[in-house]
Amino acid sequence: MGVNLAFGTGLANNRSMSTALNQLDTTIQVVTPENIAFDYRVAGPFRRLPAFLLDVAIRIAAFFLIGLIISFFAGAGGSGLAVAVILIGWFVSEWFYGGLFETYWNGQTPGKRIMGLRVLTTDGQPINGLQAVMRNVFRTADMYPMLSIQILGDLPPAYIFPTFFAGLAVMACNRQFQRVGDLVCGTLVVIEEKPWLTEVAKAEDPRTAALAELLPTDFRVSRSMAQTLSSYVERRRYFTPARRREIAGHLGEPLLQRFGLPSDTSYDLLLCALYHRTFISDRPEESPQRESRSQHDQPVSSGLSEGSSP
Amino acid sequence: MKVVELLESRRRQWKTLEQMTDRLQSRRRNRLPPDDLVKFADLYRAACADLALADAYQLPPSTTQYLHRLVGRAHNQLYRSHKFDFRHWGKILLHDVPESIFRDRCVQVAFCLFWGVFLTSAALAYQQTMWPNYAQEMLTEPVISQLESNFSEPLTGRDPDADLAMAGFYIRHNTSIGLKCFVGGLLVIPGLFITVFNAAHLGAAFGYMARPEVAESQNFFQFVTAHGPFELTAIVLSAGAGLRLGVAWLAPGRWGRLASLRRTAREAMPLMGAAMCMFFLAAMIEAFISPSGLPYWFKALVAVVSSGALLFYFLVLGLPGGSSRATG
Repeated sequence: MGVNLAFGTGLANNRSMSTALNQLDTTIQVVTPENIAFDYRVAGPFRRLPAFLLDVAIRIAAFFLIGLIISFFAGAGGSGLAVAVILIGWFVSEWFYGGLFETYWNGQTPGKRIMGLRVLTTDGQPINGLQAVMRNVFRTADMYPMLSIQILGDLPPAYIFPTFFAGLAVMACNRQFQRVGDLVCGTLVVIEEKPWLTEVAKAEDPRTAALAELLPTDFRVSRSMAQTLSSYVERRRYFTPARRREIAGHLGEPLLQRFGLPSDTSYDLLLCALYHRTFISDRPEESPQRESRSQHDQPVSSGLSEGSSP
Repeated sequence: MKVVELLESRRRQWKTLEQMTDRLQSRRRNRLPPDDLVKFADLYRAACADLALADAYQLPPSTTQYLHRLVGRAHNQLYRSHKFDFRHWGKILLHDVPESIFRDRCVQVAFCLFWGVFLTSAALAYQQTMWPNYAQEMLTEPVISQLESNFSEPLTGRDPDADLAMAGFYIRHNTSIGLKCFVGGLLVIPGLFITVFNAAHLGAAFGYMARPEVAESQNFFQFVTAHGPFELTAIVLSAGAGLRLGVAWLAPGRWGRLASLRRTAREAMPLMGAAMCMFFLAAMIEAFISPSGLPYWFKALVAVVSSGALLFYFLVLGLPGGSSRATG
């Protein structure tokens, strides 16, 4: 009874938690042509600003380098052609640097590449050249309001610098951190991380396997419970024993009653054993343990109780 | 089958997919042999299937997360960005753009706004009774004196080096103004400000230089005649395209504001492309013909021909169905 109740609430909690997590997490779901849905993490301003600054730095560095080379070959004064090439190059890099890179580098600029970002359309598909160019041309709209440098003191009025407030405000107002250019083109920036495949978590405690033998074989672990178990076992090493007991108690207590195990069995160990049986060991179809349990019950379970737990 | 066995059996495939993705992503060796490409697609689909069944397989959350990232990365290598399709550009620029300009209210409004402000400003700067100091206030003294010194000597041509350098300068400077005008139109106020300011400024300069007592007026008009049509049309076009963006989200009609903006932006971008071509032509004329010592009739002829070309572009190509009649 208690177990069923626990399952019911567990499931409900799980569901409400997952929607809450979706609202909290900045992920989008992409449905591929293969009809598979997978998640992307959307990149926020604090991840994109360094990428942008890197791009600006790269642009300026490349510009100086090329200018240096050209003036080296063309002579110090620089011929008209050299000046024209430099000016046109400056114009192209000013307006089309991002657009060209994102078109030919599959949605990345050098800065985005370093920061592990990529531009996609809002439905997760690759962008096209028009979108790439447009979203970068529209960066100018993100730079507003422009401020004259005169507000910093008595300086010549020629210098105007962008504040990027418009872009930040627009980014803050939508859930996918799209700036003005992204909204206009229907694109967004996602984080593309290198994945790490971790080993399946295993309980190193040898008593786990022993306890797993004692669990009734006809008990079937539901999907949501399996999720709960693996989440717990993956994270339990970050918790102190007292905290483990507290967390595992919610599921462990009804399970202990149901399995008829002694009430001083460690909840943590019980969950590990259940995890072990579900995920790692082969389920024994024929169960000789069932008969012999009454003899083994007492000594084993007394060994299983945690000495440190109150 | 237990999860551990399942993971063991899949791990190798996932790792291979990961390595292939790395290779595709690296700049230098991003070409896979055909066999490997087929294998890559297969592995990707297998990983997709594993992810779809992650729940049924009861995979641990960390493995599911790994699969999300793996599939995401592989997806981005399999489906790559579409490059520019240059074959369509000719059709877009010569067929679609003139037609859309022809019936574009915003371009008409921008045209009226620009020329209205321009002519008013020119008139105010020319006469000296109604607002005696208009030209001085609008242009400021340093700009006026620079204008006068620039055009103090008759145009006899510069050395070709300077022409080339100036071509670069005009392309950068003028096209940037056009693009800012276009993008500023999205936020409406900056776009209108840039348009009106440029119109007023240019108008005042024209009006001031047209005054009979200004000695340099001859040279000034010799200079500006040839490239004027392209340059002024291009700026009007940029302003019109920008205004369209602003109107798209202010008055979206039956569309959602964002959807309307997106749709309009896709249509307005080719307009801006046409404007950029005009800026480029104007810059070429401004750099090589305008400052040269060629006789005035030749420069006037250039202006007439370019105006004719623009009229042809807007009216003949732009008339709905006009181009289809012309081509066949």
